[in-house]
Amino acid sequence: MHFIDSTNFERLLKKLSSEGELFVPVRNEENGKLSLSRVDAFPLDENVCFDGYRTVEPLKGFAQFLRSPVAEYPSADSDEMADPDGFPDYIVVGARACDVNSLELIDRIQVEGEFIDPFYKIRRDKLLLIAADCSECGDSCFCTLLGNKPWPEKGFDLSIAKVSGGFVVDIGSDRGTAVFEENKDLFTETREGQIKARDEIRERVASELEQKNKDFPAADKLPEILRGALNDEVWDEIAAHCVECGACTNICPTCYCFLLFDQKLDGEHFQRVQSWDSCQVTGYARMAGMLNPRPRLTDRVKHRYYHKYDYLVSSHEAIYCTGCGRCIDTCSAGIDMRESFKKVKEKAKR
Amino acid sequence: MKNPYYPIDAVIEEIIEETPTIKTFVLKPARPIEFRAGQFMQLTLPGIGEAPFTPSSSPKVTEKMEITILRTGKVTDALHESEAGAKVGLRGPFGKGYPLDKLKGKEVLLVGGGVGLAPLRSLIHALLDKPSDYKRISIKNGARLPEELCFNDQYDEWGNAAPNVDFTCTIDTPASGWEGKVGLVTTLLDNLDIDIENSIALSCGPEIMLKFVTLKLLEVGYKPPQIYLSMNRKMSCGMGKCGRCNVGHYYLCVDGPDMCYDKIKHVPNVFG
Repeated sequence: MHFIDSTNFERLLKKLSSEGELFVPVRNEENGKLSLSRVDAFPLDENVCFDGYRTVEPLKGFAQFLRSPVAEYPSADSDEMADPDGFPDYIVVGARACDVNSLELIDRIQVEGEFIDPFYKIRRDKLLLIAADCSECGDSCFCTLLGNKPWPEKGFDLSIAKVSGGFVVDIGSDRGTAVFEENKDLFTETREGQIKARDEIRERVASELEQKNKDFPAADKLPEILRGALNDEVWDEIAAHCVECGACTNICPTCYCFLLFDQKLDGEHFQRVQSWDSCQVTGYARMAGMLNPRPRLTDRVKHRYYHKYDYLVSSHEAIYCTGCGRCIDTCSAGIDMRESFKKVKEKAKR
Repeated sequence: MKNPYYPIDAVIEEIIEETPTIKTFVLKPARPIEFRAGQFMQLTLPGIGEAPFTPSSSPKVTEKMEITILRTGKVTDALHESEAGAKVGLRGPFGKGYPLDKLKGKEVLLVGGGVGLAPLRSLIHALLDKPSDYKRISIKNGARLPEELCFNDQYDEWGNAAPNVDFTCTIDTPASGWEGKVGLVTTLLDNLDIDIENSIALSCGPEIMLKFVTLKLLEVGYKPPQIYLSMNRKMSCGMGKCGRCNVGHYYLCVDGPDMCYDKIKHVPNVFG
C-alpha cells in the first residue's frame, strides 16, 4: 500500500494530463454535487474534490459515447477498423465503486462473446481509471443493497482514498503498476495510522448506507421477488407517474442499449451512427407494421426492472445495477427503485 | 479488428415479383457470404437504414443470396421501389439458424404462413439436399388469398422431390378459380398423418399465426421441446448488444430468431 501527499498527487495528475484528456470531479458551489470536468490548466481549481460520493453523470460515456459514428459506406472494400490512434486517451480520476463496477458489467456485453464492439473496446482499453473511495453517501445511494462496497475493489488502474494530508493508493492493474513505477518518487509507503484512517471512513460510510437502506429488500432476493410478480397489477401502480422521459436509462451507469441509424453524408456516402437509446420510449422495440411487444407504459417500466434484475442474471450472471441511485435522483415522477421493490415484495399476489 | 457495423456492398441483380406485396431480391455481395438456414442478415438500404431478413435461398449458394420481402415498413417500402442494379449492403449472418442436427432421422413438419415461407424455403433447400437424412418432410403452407401464396411455381418440385416429402397448401377464405384447400393453415394440422412422438415442428409466419399453430400443435400431441418458432422482435445490431430483441432473457439475434417453444413458453405476451 502506498501514500501520496496532495501536492505530489497534483504533480502526478499534471504529468498524466500531458498523455491525454484529464477529467476530475468538481463540486458545484450551489448544490454541493460533483460533476466530471476536464482539466485544462494547473493548479487545480479549488472546487476539485476527490472525496464525497459519486458524480451526477455516469462513467459509461467515456467508453460508450452518447453518439458515435460506427461506419461509413460504401467505402474501401475492407471492414477493418480505423486506427485506434485516432481515438482520444481519457484519464478519469475520482470514479466511485458504483461506476467502476458498471463498466465491468458493460464490458460483458460489448467486448465478450462472439462479436466485439471495436469502438467500445478501443475506448475502454485506452481509459486510464483512477478510482476513489466514497467519504459520504447520498440519500439515493444503495450500493450495499447490491452487496457492493462504497469503495472500489477491482476494475481500476489506481484507486485513492483521501486521508489527512493526501491519499492512500491501491494499484489495481498492470497499467496502474506502470504509472506507479514511472512516478515512484512521488509516493511513500503508508504508515499504519493512514490505512486505519481510511478503513474507519470506509466502515462509517458502509454503515451509513446500511442504516439508510435497512427497510429495502437486498439484491439477492430481487430476482426471486420479481419472478413471482411478472403479471401483477402492482406494476401499474409503479408505472402510474412515469412520464416516459428516458432519464433513468440515460443516467444509469449500466444501461448499455443503443440505437443504430443511418444518415446521408454527401452524395452517395452514408454514415451509420450508434446512439444511446431508452427502452422506456414507445418506439424502442416497435417493428415494421407497428408491431410492438411492449405497447403499454407499464410493460416498458416493468421491462427495465426485469432486464436488470432478472434477465441479465440468467444471461450474464449479474444484476445490472450497481446501486448508484442516479435514477432516483433524476426521476421527475419520483420513482425510487428501492420503493418499487418494496411494493412488489409486499403487494404482489402470489 | 473487424468492424461488425460495416455493411458489405451488394448489388440487386434481379427482382422477382412473388405476390402483389412480396418480392424476392437476388443479391450479389462483393464477396461470398456463408450462412446456415435460418440465420438472418441485416440488409442496408443506403441512407434509409437496416432491417433484418432471413435469406430464402439455399445455404449451399454463397455467391448470391435471395431475400424474400413483404412490403411493410420504411426499409421495405424503399426496397420495393428499388430496381435491379441498385446498391445495398449486407451484415451478417447472425443468429443460430435452424437446429438441423436435431432434425436428422425425424419426421420434420414445416408450417409456413404468408411471407413466413421465405425463411422456411432456405430450410427446405437444406432438407431436400439430402431428404434421406430425415424420416419424413411434411410442408404445410397457408396464405390469405391464392395470389398471396409465394413460390407457388416451386410447390410441385418440392412435393415430388422424394417419396418421403409432401407439400400441402391452403388459403384462408374461398376465392374464385381456387380449387385447393380452404381454411386457416391450422386446419392442415388436423388429422396429421405423422408419428408425432418422433417429430419436430418448425413454424414461421405472423405472430397471430404462430400462436394458433402452437396451440394446435400442443392440442394434437406435440410437446413444447418439439416446437420451433421463428419469433419476431426488433433485431438491430445482430450481436446481442443493442438490447431490443429480447424474449425473456434471450436475445433473438443471438439465441434465435428460431426459438424452441419450451424455452419461451413462460414469457408473458410471447406472441405480442
